[in-house]
Amino acid sequence: MSETKNDTPRDTLLQVRDLKMHFPIKEAAGLGRTKKVVQAVDGVSFELKAGASLGLVGESGCGKSTTGRMITRLLTPTSGEIVFKGTDIAQLKERELRPFRRQLQIVFQDPYSSLNPRQTVSNIISTPLRVHNLVKKGQELARVQELLERVGLNPEHHNRYPNEFSGGQRQRIGIARALAVEPEVIIADEPVSALDVSIQAQVMNLLEDLRKDLGIAFVFIAHDLGVVRHFCDEVAVMYLGKIVEQGSRDQIYNAPQHPYTQALLSAAPDLGTIRGVPPKERIRLVGDVPSPIDPPSGCRFRTRCWKAEDICATQEPLLEIKPQSTPGHTAACHFAEPKVDLIAETA
Amino acid sequence: MSIGSPDSTVGVEDHPASAEPARTAATPHGKSPSRIAFDRLRKDRVAVICASIVLFFVLVAIFAPLLSKLEGQDISTFNTQQIDEFGYPTIGITADHWFGIEPKTGRDNFARWVYGARPSLIIAFLATVVGTAIGVVMGLLAGFLGGWVDRIISWLIDFVLSLPFLLFAIALVPIVESLRGGSFNLSPEDQANIRFYVLIFVLAFFGWAGLARIIRGEVLSLREREFVLAAKAIGVPTWQVLFKELLPNLVAPIVISASLAVPAYVTAEAGLSFLGVGLVEPKPSWGQTIAVATNWYKADPLYLWLPVIGITALVLALALLGDAIRDAFDPKTRR
Repeated sequence: MSETKNDTPRDTLLQVRDLKMHFPIKEAAGLGRTKKVVQAVDGVSFELKAGASLGLVGESGCGKSTTGRMITRLLTPTSGEIVFKGTDIAQLKERELRPFRRQLQIVFQDPYSSLNPRQTVSNIISTPLRVHNLVKKGQELARVQELLERVGLNPEHHNRYPNEFSGGQRQRIGIARALAVEPEVIIADEPVSALDVSIQAQVMNLLEDLRKDLGIAFVFIAHDLGVVRHFCDEVAVMYLGKIVEQGSRDQIYNAPQHPYTQALLSAAPDLGTIRGVPPKERIRLVGDVPSPIDPPSGCRFRTRCWKAEDICATQEPLLEIKPQSTPGHTAACHFAEPKVDLIAETA
Repeated sequence: MSIGSPDSTVGVEDHPASAEPARTAATPHGKSPSRIAFDRLRKDRVAVICASIVLFFVLVAIFAPLLSKLEGQDISTFNTQQIDEFGYPTIGITADHWFGIEPKTGRDNFARWVYGARPSLIIAFLATVVGTAIGVVMGLLAGFLGGWVDRIISWLIDFVLSLPFLLFAIALVPIVESLRGGSFNLSPEDQANIRFYVLIFVLAFFGWAGLARIIRGEVLSLREREFVLAAKAIGVPTWQVLFKELLPNLVAPIVISASLAVPAYVTAEAGLSFLGVGLVEPKPSWGQTIAVATNWYKADPLYLWLPVIGITALVLALALLGDAIRDAFDPKTRR
């Protein structure tokens, strides 16, 4: 992958500003009911340029999928803005959203639950065509077969049911469905994490081709830094509903500033060990992710951070460019410092 | 990790789908899960026999006028000349009266038996259709919309399920009749017709709630599946999500529930007619005949056995067929 995919300046396609999703939960406490909220996503901001790809990384429950679902408006954000091509779609009603549904699509994690088991492949892929009146009657099949071919499936299999396909093939069907409306942005919500490792590469290559050939911008959600590294120009690391570090791929992977990013990178398996190179010292995080119902004061990572001091509990660190970092590289930590050589050369 | 690297591709093929078509290489068309269930059902001998028995009764009901014409009798002629002064029939099975005649009235047993299949089947099927339709719609709405809609429908389901069926059914018939002017003012024909519809109403009213609860539960789990989210992300309207995405996934519970409801309704109709709150004269019905025939059992056992055999065979066949359908839809059963 070349470092400069496209040198022409790109327009900002999608801008997310201070996005919050608080799920109310009811708990019976004594006689009455107390209302609490799960702060699944608490103030996330980023930008996505046309044709670019942003990786959203973090462990389970950090709010990355919730963010993806808010952008596609499967969830209505509690507050914040989702500006797509100049329109804030965060609070639009379903009817007003319709034109945007065509441009923002989502590919799901689980290829076994993302396809309706009672519909044929051609039915699944032609649903978006019919809903948005994209092709004339009688030409649906031709378009479906074209899409199947595009995602590397045999177009003659349009009559089959999802249960006749393997996980990787199903995921391709899911991608074809997202492509049917010719979207400008695809939210890929862990599209390969449910697949076998050997299949992952094929699906990743397909997504890469689509990005290059069709110029689709991607928000790529993953818990796997390896997958993101090869696909995304820009990476945002999330922890407990907030972005803790954001920067270009090289900035994040080669000079991570935030202790959490460093810990994540350090946890990635190292192929060198297999070849006999003595393993590097790993950063081990202790404890669990705190509950998003009652997140820690100040810095949310401080309960597991080896650098934490008093200021971390009282003052929340801002996501800002640190003096020592390169332009465009932001981190939310009072004690941010780059740590290099955390990951061995992979593969 | 090497996963995403383009040059570390492991066994990439041009057409991954064509690489493993072995499973269904012979069939160009895929089989829908319903189709698979139907194929399994066809191989089930019990199911085929039961289906034939049910079909036999359906044909008997449909061709009842033809069958009685074939015999040369009808349901309402009083053959008083063949009844002695105590009301007992003087003839048994003859060429004119294939199953003999009724005591006291002297009407033809065969004609009344073939006509008697009609109300049983019509009421059971109509009540099933109405109850299933209401149950499915209620369950879909409650499960999918959630919130206050769910709370109201769930409350209704609990309410209906807590009502005592028999008491309610027995009480409802005179109430409806009194609304229509009282049973004394109604002609026997009107009364029989009212009873007919009241029975369908009562059975459907008590039948929908159980199915609605099952459907609601299924929808609650289905709506979290990602294909429903995908449909929403595409912008599929809610009613299409309900009826095009979700409903096809509910075929199994609906078919199973309906196939088990039909025999239950046949029994319920016969039971209510036996208790005197079901169908009344002049409409011939098996349950009603059983009620009358118990008084004559010692002298004329055939009179009682005819409707008893009819109901038993029909209900048994329907129930076994329902079981077979449930097995066919359940991927875990192996036969």
